[in-house]
Amino acid sequence: MDSLKLNLLGMARYRGREGQLSFVLHRLAGLGTLLFLAVHILDTSTVYFFPSLYEDAINLYRSTPFMLGEIALVFFVIYHGVNGARIAIFDLFAPDRWNVETQRKSAVWSLVIAILIWLPAAFMMGRSLLVNNFGL
Amino acid sequence: MRYRELLLIPLAWGHVLIQDVLVGVHSIDLDYVALRWASLGWRVYDFLLLTFAFAHGVNGLRRVLNDYIRQDSTRKAVTWLLFALWLILSLIGAMAIVGGVRSP
Repeated sequence: MDSLKLNLLGMARYRGREGQLSFVLHRLAGLGTLLFLAVHILDTSTVYFFPSLYEDAINLYRSTPFMLGEIALVFFVIYHGVNGARIAIFDLFAPDRWNVETQRKSAVWSLVIAILIWLPAAFMMGRSLLVNNFGL
Repeated sequence: MRYRELLLIPLAWGHVLIQDVLVGVHSIDLDYVALRWASLGWRVYDFLLLTFAFAHGVNGLRRVLNDYIRQDSTRKAVTWLLFALWLILSLIGAMAIVGGVRSP
């Protein structure tokens, strides 16, 4: 517990700027997606093991908090992919460009690209939320 | 390992684009899953996604935990626990994809 507290405090205090922020966001996005994926494997498996329960699981996902979570989840999946691709591309094709200046710029670019891809998706999911749950 | 993860981008994004953005959770039910799994191609797609994405996720969790665990014995136990979690959930998911949708 002490080591966790130390890590969280250190994460807040350490002024690593863009590199550290993308590291933290990358990990959070990955862990959040994994948590959903584990639940999602189980809920989809009900179609074979307990088909009568599948409708209940889907009804939970249709509720407003879960649909808002879904919009966040889609951002996590997009950001983790864009930022992971950035790291993989530098590692595989341009390892000599691992310097602070290039990485600061590319870290910001991966966030910008992720937001640009996410916005139209968020718009369509937001519209579906308003139409289905609030009758707009 | 890096190549598998690059393949995960089109797989996961394609799945999210179709199911979350274009179809939407309000149009998904047992009949929809049955219709989708009627074609072998989508079953293979979902199987690849299940194996690649979940293995990548659990391995990522192992690496995050290893950053915070100092003791070798704890690290070993956590690795085996995560391996068991990965194996059990992957088997459950694979059984559902192979078995398909049953009528309630």
